[in-house]
Amino acid sequence: MSSPDLTATPARLRKPIDWWRWGGRVFLTLLLLFTVLPMVWMLLTSVKTQFAAMQYPPQWWPAEPTLQNYVKLLDPTNKVGHEFLLYFWNSLYVSTLTTILGVVVAVPAAYAFSRFRFPGRTFLFFSVLLRNMFPAVVFLMPLFLLMRWLGLVGSHGSLILTYLTFGLPLSIWLLKGFYDNIPIQLEQAARIDGATRFQAFILIVMPLSTPGIIATSIFSFIGAWNEYVYAATFINTKERMTLPVGIQSFFAEFATDWPGLMAATFLMSVPVVVLFLVLQKYFVKALTEGAVKH
Amino acid sequence: MSIATERQVAGPTPILPRKAAGILRRVLNHRSDYLYVLPALAVMMVVIAYPIYYTIELSFFKTPQNLQMKDKIFVGLDNYVTILSSESFRSVTLNTLTWTLFSTFFAFLIGLVAALSLHREFAGRGVLRALLLVPYVVSAVAASYVWKWLYHSDFGVIGALAVQFGLTEKPINFLDNLYTVLPSLIVVNVWKEFSFAMIMLMAGLQTVPEQLLRAAQVDGANAWQRFWHVTFPHLRGVSMVTLLLLMVANFNSFIIPFVMTGGGPAGASDIWITQIYSIAFGRQRYGVASAYSVILFIVMMALGYFYVKALTRGDESRAG
Repeated sequence: MSSPDLTATPARLRKPIDWWRWGGRVFLTLLLLFTVLPMVWMLLTSVKTQFAAMQYPPQWWPAEPTLQNYVKLLDPTNKVGHEFLLYFWNSLYVSTLTTILGVVVAVPAAYAFSRFRFPGRTFLFFSVLLRNMFPAVVFLMPLFLLMRWLGLVGSHGSLILTYLTFGLPLSIWLLKGFYDNIPIQLEQAARIDGATRFQAFILIVMPLSTPGIIATSIFSFIGAWNEYVYAATFINTKERMTLPVGIQSFFAEFATDWPGLMAATFLMSVPVVVLFLVLQKYFVKALTEGAVKH
Repeated sequence: MSIATERQVAGPTPILPRKAAGILRRVLNHRSDYLYVLPALAVMMVVIAYPIYYTIELSFFKTPQNLQMKDKIFVGLDNYVTILSSESFRSVTLNTLTWTLFSTFFAFLIGLVAALSLHREFAGRGVLRALLLVPYVVSAVAASYVWKWLYHSDFGVIGALAVQFGLTEKPINFLDNLYTVLPSLIVVNVWKEFSFAMIMLMAGLQTVPEQLLRAAQVDGANAWQRFWHVTFPHLRGVSMVTLLLLMVANFNSFIIPFVMTGGGPAGASDIWITQIYSIAFGRQRYGVASAYSVILFIVMMALGYFYVKALTRGDESRAG
């Protein structure tokens, strides 16, 4: 084949102005503005004083930028800061524990669904997936009664147990995708060399599925960090509230403090956004795994 | 040979009828396999199977206000009749459909165009993709507060901008107006989830064979023809999954309408989920709320059927 021909063809066919390309650029610019401007306004508001925020027409650029809202939220000696840091810590505690437990439970299950052909496999797998279909609110009443019966209402345990099942179907599905892509021959070779099936799993499969585990962990963590419905219903004391709910009480108490609320919203978003940006590659992979077959 | 087949070497001699014995033997042969699934299964049983059963049971009862469930009274299908004949049911269902369909449509459309525009390599593409994904990652509660502030009736920046550009005389009260409230919430929802569609479709685009596009171009197909006849057929599978997931997520979304308007004004932004919540936790009528949930279950199961079908195209062929 003449390779010069192939490279020359598109260039010859290309019109002087590629309207589709320019259309794409304009669209992306507008989309970027739509995405980013609300966040920019949040940040701008968060460095205004209460007085500066409540003006019409608005101050497009803060005349006297101040960090007082952030200082107030992060200073443990005043009441607001003390509460905010407490909620933050609770969120961190619940999300981390959920993530760790989720991985411990999901890894063996996903491995079994990927490798073994036991009776009932298909049925169990679909029932796991179907969990995704049901809204949190529908499970709220029976779970609330169940947690009351277990004596867990008001404890972090009730949230962790609930978030665990939230995350599990997705984690299992994602991890199964990763295990499907690990050649079974690797394990067979290990077993011929004398490893037990469990050893083959721990020593061969686990290290290879690290990206999958990272990906599912991000998902569990973000899911738990952002969850609102159960946290609002199960937790009834201020000491145990997580951020999404705590922020609401903050809002109700200081009804008109929009700059403070924007600062709190920003601080609440920081951990998940940082986590996402650092581990973006895994996040994107996890999101699309399973839906696209290569 | 696969690991799966090596187990079916020998089994106990059949005593039971052949078919039952076959299943039993297979279960016994695979008994250690179940150990791997057991922890997940145990958790799921407690937190999923039981609530579903309990919801269905409660939907046939009148429940007491104090939640002492031993005092509940069997009422048959009364709860269902109450819901289906209530005046609000029609308007709430209409809102739910509007909310779900418009959110899904716009999120998918914007996601598709964004994915196509981002497909070509260019400087800053990674940064752009990351920025567009941020709304999908932040919590819906945070997003709701930020947009509530943007829509604020007196000091909201959107209202102020509309006046600045001469679109309106005075700021629109977006969230307190029967006609603007639902579209305003849909904008927030689309803002939050279009990048999910974008990321799914970007992954789908990578499966479109480059040679086919090249061949089409050599044959004189224009950009639109290349998209419609080459790219789009390859995206059909991933589009199916994306649309279904968006639809389920929108059907079930609670936080944006709840935090931003609480279903108001006058129920103009009330959807099934917020309605169920207010019946259960506002009016303490668990029986009616359970019946509502069961109706929602049924709709979800129908969607779930297509979801599983779309998802398992590849799985069964591999499972063999």
